[in-house]
Amino acid sequence: MEAGVLNTWSPAGRLRRAHAPVVLAVAWRNVRLRYKSSILGFVWSLLNPLLFLLIFLFIFSRAFPQVENYAVFALTGLIFWSFFATSSAHILGSLVESAHVLRSLAVPPIVFPLAQLLAGLFNLLLSFVPFAGILLVFGWQPTWNSLLVLPALLLFSVFLFGLGLLLAALNVFFRDIGLLWGALLPAFFYITPIAYPPDLVPDDLAWVAGLNPLYHYISLFRSVVYEGAMGTGAQWGLTALIALVALFLGWSVHRALRRGYIANY
Amino acid sequence: MIELKGLQVDYLVQRHGFRSIKEYLVSFGSKRLLERKRVLHGVDLQVERGECFGILGRNGSGKSTLLRVLAGIMEPSAGTVRVNGRVAPVLALGVGLEPELNGWENARLCGVLMGQDRTEVRRTMEQVRDFTGLSAEDLDMPVKRYSTGMMARLGFAIATANDPDVLLIDEVLAVGDAAFQRKCYARIDELKAKGCTIVFVSHYLGEVQKICDRAACIEAGEVVRVGHPHEVGVHYHELLGIPVE
Repeated sequence: MEAGVLNTWSPAGRLRRAHAPVVLAVAWRNVRLRYKSSILGFVWSLLNPLLFLLIFLFIFSRAFPQVENYAVFALTGLIFWSFFATSSAHILGSLVESAHVLRSLAVPPIVFPLAQLLAGLFNLLLSFVPFAGILLVFGWQPTWNSLLVLPALLLFSVFLFGLGLLLAALNVFFRDIGLLWGALLPAFFYITPIAYPPDLVPDDLAWVAGLNPLYHYISLFRSVVYEGAMGTGAQWGLTALIALVALFLGWSVHRALRRGYIANY
Repeated sequence: MIELKGLQVDYLVQRHGFRSIKEYLVSFGSKRLLERKRVLHGVDLQVERGECFGILGRNGSGKSTLLRVLAGIMEPSAGTVRVNGRVAPVLALGVGLEPELNGWENARLCGVLMGQDRTEVRRTMEQVRDFTGLSAEDLDMPVKRYSTGMMARLGFAIATANDPDVLLIDEVLAVGDAAFQRKCYARIDELKAKGCTIVFVSHYLGEVQKICDRAACIEAGEVVRVGHPHEVGVHYHELLGIPVE
């Protein structure tokens, strides 16, 4: 069998290079579907973080006088939080939502979580343009280091995909996972320093905050975008490590459960 | 050509209840969360090139599972599967269709999902225009407003557009109107003449007798009879306890 040909008979379980057009086609469908019957369409991916920013500005800007330029501080956190919250939920539901296709066409299941990640990334990258404008209005001063946001985003995406794949696989068997995730997301939002500066966490609880993977990613994004720094080696190393662990976990669980999907969607 | 030898297929079914989850977690995953449920118990079948082969069987007898193995959706747990050539599944028509997208967009997406390359997708679009009998207005409309028959037309056109070597049909022609059914049968004959192997699953004998050269009857995951469609049909009706019309 030729490696580049898909439509000869072969079991569909594994993702191969020839599946690239399939992943892209599904990702493009996701992009189009996300806002298909909404009036504001793509604007929603900006509006959500901006509404939060507005609330933050009203409530918190006086509460944290030690934070220089609170609007830029909060928005750099919110952009990536919002990407995380939406994409993780989309990836989580991707397998179950595609059950009708997976039951009748020979497509590897992993195509659908992957396509959701790509659709989310596409949306985020597109939203960088207007967000950069808004940040500049608030007095953000970009540096060359700001471009490090791209490799940081790559690590964050690997982490997000691993976590999402784990949740998506479990969600095939227990729909509780989806409901649980919906309840956990707001909790993560509050324990991660998005609205407040991380030094607000008392010293003796700092290790607890460090257990939250999002804490490290948000700090990295803040370092390169808000502070215009390069980020420390420890920051990059740790986020890369978390990403690989998450990917390994998600992939292993997916592989162990994959053959059971078809009877349980 | 299709050749199945000692084909066994299991579904991994979730063991229900909280206790099974607890056992699974406490044992760190070494206790099984999933149970095997055998659906096909050693199926041997051979379908020649250019043959139209019917599969009759009651609900839950394993017909659709057999088709899923032929389509490459499920892997056998034992036995061998040989399917030569490009397979096009028409399992429950309209199934890969996305309700919010229009006919054209769906044709493109479905084609890609079925593994068609760029040229094949273009041919699929032409076939959708020529074969479905849907107007340009219909094809520009989101598929969620289509009737079941219109979906079936679109699905059939997409699956048969590129002269597949093996065509799998899961009791789907019944939803179209008489004119469309005739068109489908004509297209099936045309494909057969080109050497396309067709596996046609149904629980309705009339359809099978009409288009199939040979047939098999499946009962509880085993092939109980293979032969001329009429002879197999009589056996099938004996199983059902209803005389052949």
